[in-house]
Amino acid sequence: MRYVDEFRDPELGRVLATEILAAVEPGRHYKFMEVCGGHTHSIYKYGVDDLLPANVELVHGPGCPVCVIPMGRVDDGIAIAREPGVIFACFGDMMRVPGSSGSLLEAKAEGADIRMVYSPLDALRIAKHNPDREVVFFAIGFETTAPSTALTLKRAKAEGVPNFSCMCSHVTIVPPLRALLDSPDLRLDGFVGPGHVSTVVGARPFEFIPADYGKPIVVAGFEPLDILQAIRMILAQLADGRCEVENQYSRVVPYEGNRRALEVMAEVFELRPHFEWRGLGFISQSGLKLSEAYADLDAEVRFSVPGVRVADPKACQCGEVLKGVIKPWECKVFGTACTPERPIGTCMVSSEGACAAYYNFGRFAREREVV
Amino acid sequence: MNANACGDHCITCSDEGIPMQVERVDEARGLALCAAEDGSKSTVEIALVDVAPGDRVLVHAGVALAELTA
Repeated sequence: MRYVDEFRDPELGRVLATEILAAVEPGRHYKFMEVCGGHTHSIYKYGVDDLLPANVELVHGPGCPVCVIPMGRVDDGIAIAREPGVIFACFGDMMRVPGSSGSLLEAKAEGADIRMVYSPLDALRIAKHNPDREVVFFAIGFETTAPSTALTLKRAKAEGVPNFSCMCSHVTIVPPLRALLDSPDLRLDGFVGPGHVSTVVGARPFEFIPADYGKPIVVAGFEPLDILQAIRMILAQLADGRCEVENQYSRVVPYEGNRRALEVMAEVFELRPHFEWRGLGFISQSGLKLSEAYADLDAEVRFSVPGVRVADPKACQCGEVLKGVIKPWECKVFGTACTPERPIGTCMVSSEGACAAYYNFGRFAREREVV
Repeated sequence: MNANACGDHCITCSDEGIPMQVERVDEARGLALCAAEDGSKSTVEIALVDVAPGDRVLVHAGVALAELTA
């Protein structure tokens, strides 16, 4: 398929791997963070890390929207889903994220009407087909899913669908990156920037990374050659003593983003003063809620939610995994008590989560290493 | 349930979009019928892009976010 096959070419991959090997300084250890879960998934799926020299380490970042949802938020969702007459719609992976007393999937098994949708527009359709029921959409995700929720809410308002509302848990990408860069735990040499978030926000919002923190960032696509090329570009910046935002994914990402998407988001959402991230704690101005103009479609206004903060299970080290402080297999419960079938932590739930990606694609290589 | 039940294009992830080809445009409703790589078709919101039949777009959670250019 065009735009896909040519970015999976094994010959070109080998050429890039050779160029990367030539670009690294032998005595130096390089630590790059791939911000987004899509990259983590591709890296393990295609074995990109196996093509890198031993002194180039990839650290997995916080860019998996399911993984960063705190337990209290899941409990809030379940509380709404259990209200009489409610149809609760959410994305598939969100259903398996454990709250303090079970997941949405378990609440569904106990009788709550919880439905998986592929788009918020599907949830709106359910609302139109069930005018006597309250339909609530659990909105999660970074700036790639936020425009979709925003357009759906605009449509709901324009078409007058009174039984539709939204529990907004959208987050933004820049504040957690700043929090990570401020964290003393982590020493990074550069970033592989999130590709599809950047189709919406553009590459410009990442300019603070070189400007304020002196680290290079290359916005990258999701095919294996995209990621290899981005790593080579970061290495070239380091070798040249440059430090800037570069766009490897220019076939999709305009430097300025999608103006219309940003406008519709600005109309429908406003920043929350604080939002809790799993493992990262509260980060100011990092979450979105519905703006005044759309408050009548806000499920948190329409229903009462517990809003209780719940601490993560003690055994779970998702926080350290999300900050890139430990690797998935270094977590005490990885692959034993915590598996994709019965996840304890969120990183094992989504296929984009670092633990699930590693469990599905990488652990066999690790077993070979251990033996 | 397997963690990969939704395949490579898991819609919960912010950063996994699906490349699709526009087949038909309904301008009045701001929607287009699009086909994915595997031939499956779906209705896509096109309010954020300017597209015509034959164009290729990156779709995320039912919304075309960007036009794919060479």
